[in-house]
Amino acid sequence: VKVTALDHERLFEPFLDEVDGVLSIVSEATAAEVARLAEPHSLRFPLWLDPTQSLRANLAAGDHAPASSRFGPFCDNITGMNWELPDGRMVRVGERVVKSTTGYDLLRFLLGSGDRFGRARDYVLRLRPLCDRDGAFLLAGPERALEQAVAEILHGSFLHWLDSVDWMAGKDQAPQLRVGVHCPAAEWPVFADYLASLAAKHALNIYEMPGSELVADGLPDLALKTTPDQVIPLCRDLATRGEIRCTGLCYPGVVHVHLRNAADPAAAVAEIVHRTATRLEQAGGDWISRHAVRPAGNDEEGRWVQDLVAEWEAAA
Amino acid sequence: VVQPPHDVRPLLRAAAPRARLLDSVAQLAGYDADGLGYKTFPPDLVVIPSDAEELASVVRVLHEAGVPICLRGAGTSLAGGPVAAQGGAIIHTSRLRAIREINTAGLWCELECGVTLSSLDEALKSSGLHYPPDPSSGPVCTIGGNVASNAGGAHCFRYGVTGNYVLGVEVVMLDGTLRRFGGPAGGRGPWREDWKRFMVGSEGTLGAFTRFWLRLTPRPEKAWTFRATFPDLPSTERAIHGLVRSPSYPVAIEMMDPASVSMVEKSPMAVGLPQDHFLLVVEIDGPAALVDARVESVAAILREAGSNDVQFSDDPVMRAGLFKARKAQGGLLGQVSPDFLVQDAVIPKRALAEVLALVYEEAEKAGLSAVTVMHAGDGNLHPNFLFDSRRPGDLEKVEAISARLMERVVAVGGTLSGEHGIGNDKSGYVGLVFGPDSMRMQKAVPRVFDRASQFNPLKVFPERRFAA
Repeated sequence: VKVTALDHERLFEPFLDEVDGVLSIVSEATAAEVARLAEPHSLRFPLWLDPTQSLRANLAAGDHAPASSRFGPFCDNITGMNWELPDGRMVRVGERVVKSTTGYDLLRFLLGSGDRFGRARDYVLRLRPLCDRDGAFLLAGPERALEQAVAEILHGSFLHWLDSVDWMAGKDQAPQLRVGVHCPAAEWPVFADYLASLAAKHALNIYEMPGSELVADGLPDLALKTTPDQVIPLCRDLATRGEIRCTGLCYPGVVHVHLRNAADPAAAVAEIVHRTATRLEQAGGDWISRHAVRPAGNDEEGRWVQDLVAEWEAAA
Repeated sequence: VVQPPHDVRPLLRAAAPRARLLDSVAQLAGYDADGLGYKTFPPDLVVIPSDAEELASVVRVLHEAGVPICLRGAGTSLAGGPVAAQGGAIIHTSRLRAIREINTAGLWCELECGVTLSSLDEALKSSGLHYPPDPSSGPVCTIGGNVASNAGGAHCFRYGVTGNYVLGVEVVMLDGTLRRFGGPAGGRGPWREDWKRFMVGSEGTLGAFTRFWLRLTPRPEKAWTFRATFPDLPSTERAIHGLVRSPSYPVAIEMMDPASVSMVEKSPMAVGLPQDHFLLVVEIDGPAALVDARVESVAAILREAGSNDVQFSDDPVMRAGLFKARKAQGGLLGQVSPDFLVQDAVIPKRALAEVLALVYEEAEKAGLSAVTVMHAGDGNLHPNFLFDSRRPGDLEKVEAISARLMERVVAVGGTLSGEHGIGNDKSGYVGLVFGPDSMRMQKAVPRVFDRASQFNPLKVFPERRFAA
């Protein structure tokens, strides 16, 4: 059976579909603009972004954000995009529906590729229901007890329903655990009780912090990807060595490194990468930094990239 | 010119002495089709390597001999994926079934491509962890096939599809070398680009998978299952729209249309449902304290939308009963009809009435039956057209209906496949989805790894024909 093939690119126009919970918006929009469009429909983009930066800048700083614990990396919260190739041609990548196995997954490949194959002009964001309670619980106390509490959360049934489980550490600063919660007001006491009993069990102090008082982490200078059980050791190792603040996204297995007063961020990143990259890569992990570009892995990867680019550059 | 594969048998025996070679007509008969039994593509040879090392040797020999290579797990695909569409050899991965490690601290596991989902689930039970994707062929399908087609399932509305859980992939490339993309940490490993993104859902066209690293999650403490019937489509849609926007976050929202309900009720699997009603099966899960608090709000959404028969339970036996009609549906198709063609469209949920109307109208016009189920949370619609491929003209009719359906699906903003893949069943429709430039970008991907289309030719794009 013959069908008529498209003779043009079906680019995404701006739209918001409140039933499917998808929003098409320019990549230079900020989190505040997304919220302004989504909130009247009782929807939200669930990942915690740096509100002062564009969506594209947030994505360039790492694959994950706080709340990736519950909702996955950026690429699981973007269903499609308009992509500008280096020569200026625009192509549609992905869909406006939330699930697709049509063709090869260019969406996730390109979202993780920085600006090496072009750049995103518009995203189709997957939104989630907006609830009336938003905030975090901070747990603090002896480091070993805090670590045991994290292990208990990661292996417990509440994990799916906690926006984030973040290990916060820095030089000369006792670590804290930040547990993000976003839920209907009626369910808040269920989370509060669970975390209070966890804190009591491990002799930890617990503080409740409303969403309005939460301070954004800011864009990470370096994002390191490892396994969930290596997040805290990695944070500990990094935080004791330099002028660094670390946010460990415990379930995704990601450490966001924020440099403090680094005169040369690229050099500071290079130094951390030099110390950690081999260990990370052996476990299938990696690193991303807005201050440095990873070199191609080897000659073979160089050839694959060259072939891809050559095909993509050819006239359609 | 493709070499006759029988020429390669001595080479295969030498390179992979523990592998099984099947080449008699009777042996090959079990490999000529996937779940779409009406389309047959007999292979010339089946090779069953004993391990990953032999699999790599087999690929190298077949590559050098110029034989088309098709990888196959349990063969439960519904898109014409693991079939030898251009003849040649099928490599059956059934002996690569070791679960190498379950790392509870790191929340990942490492396993070979021939492991079935049910055996993985069994192995994980004592750890308190689980692997959520749950295609309906779960008892028999293999993780290799799941990754190749980026399989989904009923609970993917909340938990996501296979690709959301793949941390790493080990692949035999066309020249027989092993490459690993990612690993337990789920990143890129030593590569700069995230090549594993291309591997997931690649339908056996880029390489031969040997093992995977998968992300695990804690097993939910408790679940509630709801079953509600609706007198018409508008009330069903109201319920679906209410559920997907509910902060109670159902993990599964499954829909059956009246024809589907009627098919179950006329079978020995009948559960006493009104045959002219739509059916929704909904599940919530999580910590007991949380899900118990959510039960009434879910029931209220179903009632307020227009259902006057909402039943729910947290008892495992009762829950299985509430889900029974939905689970029975797939198995019954093969009993009530000689053949069926299942589509896998994903549509914006607002377009459900329009697309269903087309399904019913086209089926009626053609004198065929259509029964439809849907992973309603995701908008993933499975219309099944029942026909008899022995009756002249039937197959042509369902294929013509499929083409019109796919045109409408894309026109309303949907896509061809949500979890089955394209295979050779839907490859004729990809031109509806990709514009000229994005099509070129798509076709570039397999050309990077396999310029001659030796791996699983004639899949995904009909032009991917192997010429040795």
